[in-house]
Amino acid sequence: MSDAQAIGLTSTATLIEAVARGSRPALKRLYELESRRLYGIALRIVRRPEVAADVLQEAFIQIWQNAQSYSPERGAGGAWLTGIVRFRALDAVRKHGREVLSDDPRLGDEAQEPDVVERLATQAEAGALRRCLGLLDDQQRRCVTLAFVDGFSHAEIAERLAAPLGSVKSWVRRGLLALRSCLES
Amino acid sequence: MIPEDHEELNALAGEYVLGVLEPAQQREVQAALASNATLRDAVAFWEEQLHPLSSLAAPVDPPADLWNKIEARLDQTPQAGVTRWWNQPAPWRWATGGFAAVAAALLLYIALGGSPAAPNYVVMLHSPQQQDQTSFVATVGRDGLTIRTVAAARPPAGRAYELWAIAPGASTPQAIGVIPENGVLRVASLPPDVRLGATLAISVEPPGGSPDQHKPSGPVVFVGAVESL
Repeated sequence: MSDAQAIGLTSTATLIEAVARGSRPALKRLYELESRRLYGIALRIVRRPEVAADVLQEAFIQIWQNAQSYSPERGAGGAWLTGIVRFRALDAVRKHGREVLSDDPRLGDEAQEPDVVERLATQAEAGALRRCLGLLDDQQRRCVTLAFVDGFSHAEIAERLAAPLGSVKSWVRRGLLALRSCLES
Repeated sequence: MIPEDHEELNALAGEYVLGVLEPAQQREVQAALASNATLRDAVAFWEEQLHPLSSLAAPVDPPADLWNKIEARLDQTPQAGVTRWWNQPAPWRWATGGFAAVAAALLLYIALGGSPAAPNYVVMLHSPQQQDQTSFVATVGRDGLTIRTVAAARPPAGRAYELWAIAPGASTPQAIGVIPENGVLRVASLPPDVRLGATLAISVEPPGGSPDQHKPSGPVVFVGAVESL
C-alpha cells in the first residue's frame, strides 16, 4: 500500500472516530470526501436522483448517530460507510420499487458485467478480489456483481439473466463460497 | 435460524451483505448480530472483501443543498449512547466483542465467588461509551439469572440501579428487578425476555425502581448483549 493510500485510509477512520465524539466539522469533512462516491453507489442502486439524495441524507444521519459502533480494526472505514449507504439504498428499493433500467450510461446501465474483472484491475486495493472473481464462472460472477453493485434481488437477477430463480440462488451461494475459499487461501 | 455450520454461516453472511435475503431473513440476521460474534466476523469479512466492487458505481455529485439539509437535522438527532440505545433496540451492527472477552469475564466472575451452575449465557454490561470496561457480569442458566458488579459500580446517592431486558427485535424493555446495594441480584425464575440475542441494560432509578415497568425513568448507564457460552 502506498503512503498516499495509507493516509487516505487512516483519515477516513480518524474522521469517523471524531464523529463518534460529536465533531460536526469531522462529519462535514467526511461528507466532502465521501459524498460523491457514496451518492454514486446509492444512485446506481435506486436509479432515481431524488431517492438517492434521500438515501444519502438518511445514511449521513445514521453515520452521525452510530459512529460509535465503528471499530478501526474492522477496516479503514470506507467499507463501513459503503455498507450503511447500500443497506439504506436497498431498503428504499424494496420499499418504493425501482425504475426500469434506462440504459443511460451515466447510470452504469451499459452492458458492463462481463468486464468486471478488467475494470477492477485499475483498483489497487482490489487485487485479491479481482483474482478470485476471475476464478468464478461467468454466471456466479455476474450474480455477485449484480447483487452487490446494482442491489438486484434474486428475482431481478433471474430476469436480467433470463435464468430460473432457483439457479440464480444457487449461483449466488456457490459464487460466495468459492470467493470465500479463494480469498482465505 | 442462524446456522452453526461454518460454511452455511459464511454463505448466509455473504447473502446478507449482498442484500439478497428475504426481508424476514434479513431481519433475523440483523437481530442475531448483537449476540453472535462468529456471524459478526463473517459479515465484517464480506463487507471488507466485497467493498472494492462498489467502485464500479461511478461517483456522482450529490445535489448541492444536501449537506445543508443534513446539517439542519443534527440538532434534533442525538448520537449513539443512552437515549439512542432505547430507540434502536436492534442496532444492525455492534462493535466487536468476541468470545475471548466473554471467557475472561466468566473467569473473573468465578474468581469473584460466582457459582455459575452450568450457565447457558453470559452478559457483560458496560457503559455505552466505554465498551472495554465491564461493570456488571450476568450469567443466565436453568437456576435463573445472577448479576453482580465486577467494578464496585454504585448508583448516585439516594438512587438505585434497575436491571432491564429487551428481547431480540422488541421495542420496549421489560423490568427484571432493582439491584440491591451490595451489587448482586439473583432472579430465580428466568424472565422470558432474557435469551440469546436479547440485551440487558441498567438504568438509574428511584429506590423502588422505575414507576413504569416498561420504560426506565432515568438514564441507561450500562448495556450488554446476551452471549452464548
